[in-house]
Amino acid sequence: MGKEKHRHRILGKIKRTPLWKKEEFSEIEYEPTPVKDLLTEMKDISELIIDLAYSAILLHNQEIAEEVRYLEVRMDKLNYDIRIMAMMAARSKEDAEQLAGILQIAQAAEKISNTAGDIILLMKENTEPVLPRILAKAEERIFRLKIVEDSPACNQTIGSLNIESETGMRIIAIRRENYWIYNPQSTSSLVANDIVIARGTDEGYKQLNAFFLGKKEDIE
Amino acid sequence: MKNDTAEDVVLEIKDKSELMVDLAYSSLLYNNKTIAEEVYDLENLIDELYETLQKDTLEAVSRQKLSVDNALTIIKLAKAGEEIADAAQEIADVQLRDVDPHPILTMSLKESDEVLSRVMVKKDSVLCGKTLGELKLGSETGMTVIAMRHKNRWLYGPNKKTQIDEEDILFAKGPEDGEKHLQELAQGKISEI
Repeated sequence: MGKEKHRHRILGKIKRTPLWKKEEFSEIEYEPTPVKDLLTEMKDISELIIDLAYSAILLHNQEIAEEVRYLEVRMDKLNYDIRIMAMMAARSKEDAEQLAGILQIAQAAEKISNTAGDIILLMKENTEPVLPRILAKAEERIFRLKIVEDSPACNQTIGSLNIESETGMRIIAIRRENYWIYNPQSTSSLVANDIVIARGTDEGYKQLNAFFLGKKEDIE
Repeated sequence: MKNDTAEDVVLEIKDKSELMVDLAYSSLLYNNKTIAEEVYDLENLIDELYETLQKDTLEAVSRQKLSVDNALTIIKLAKAGEEIADAAQEIADVQLRDVDPHPILTMSLKESDEVLSRVMVKKDSVLCGKTLGELKLGSETGMTVIAMRHKNRWLYGPNKKTQIDEEDILFAKGPEDGEKHLQELAQGKISEI
């Protein structure tokens, strides 16, 4: 399964304190990263960040909201880097035209991450649970699951269990002890007592939940 | 407009805008102008929905059927969806220009966490004649069908009642190993879902 990804990335790594403030005010340093890697990371973040923002609201969780802010700032930096790299790569009018398209996509991905930042601002407002009520009606929703000690999922990697292809549930984040793992990769292991935040349908949720609770031996 | 209708509209905006982003990336990956044009049409639809929603929510507030706080939350949520739809349109716009996409773009889209795939349904595939609801492709293969072509007709964001027939072309999104499973099902190589 999955090809090895060597590129530099922050997703899937364990971070105890999202230091978005530090990142925001740090001096921007020029790092020569290929345009392809920058764009892939931007696309991945843009897909994750909206789900994270909704998770923060549904679970009333400030830490997830912090991660959204961190990723938003990270996205600004990536957008800056990709512009520089694209300009240096252009050698002809044809190059420039094609690279302009890439920058437009990068800009759109950055816009999506800004929107996620706006979504988490909704947490501050003192509203009745109108938001959770609306989100609960969507076909694909955010679920919170717990892995019990006698679940067959313990000490297995996400990839070896084929969680997404067997249940359609996409794991967005894992809470372990006192830290979070955002956007875990197929090589990430699951451990007893992990709290898993995942996106999917009711059906997929029931299937995965039974497996995580040790009520079913097989994920299928 | 009743309170719950506003909630349904905002949900439609949210779901459609997320579908648009997937469609926009698919249009680039498969060099497909028809899908890109659909993203444009959907963007117009979302603009209309958003405008109606703002008006109706304000009216509900003036008739004291909705609290100011709740109205604001609904409008802000809809605005987020509208912005995502705009971003999707900007992505689709790159496909509609008369410039060949940069090779890096395709490579980058293929290396992403979630892959987009395109499959053609063969005559002896188990998928033929079944609805998406019956097949439960999402929970069985992890792949969500975002668009499909049936003869000369396109269908975007198909629902549970949508039936798959032979020679349909499915555009789906999901994990890498799900893509292979869907390919084999569509080609009739395996019959177990």
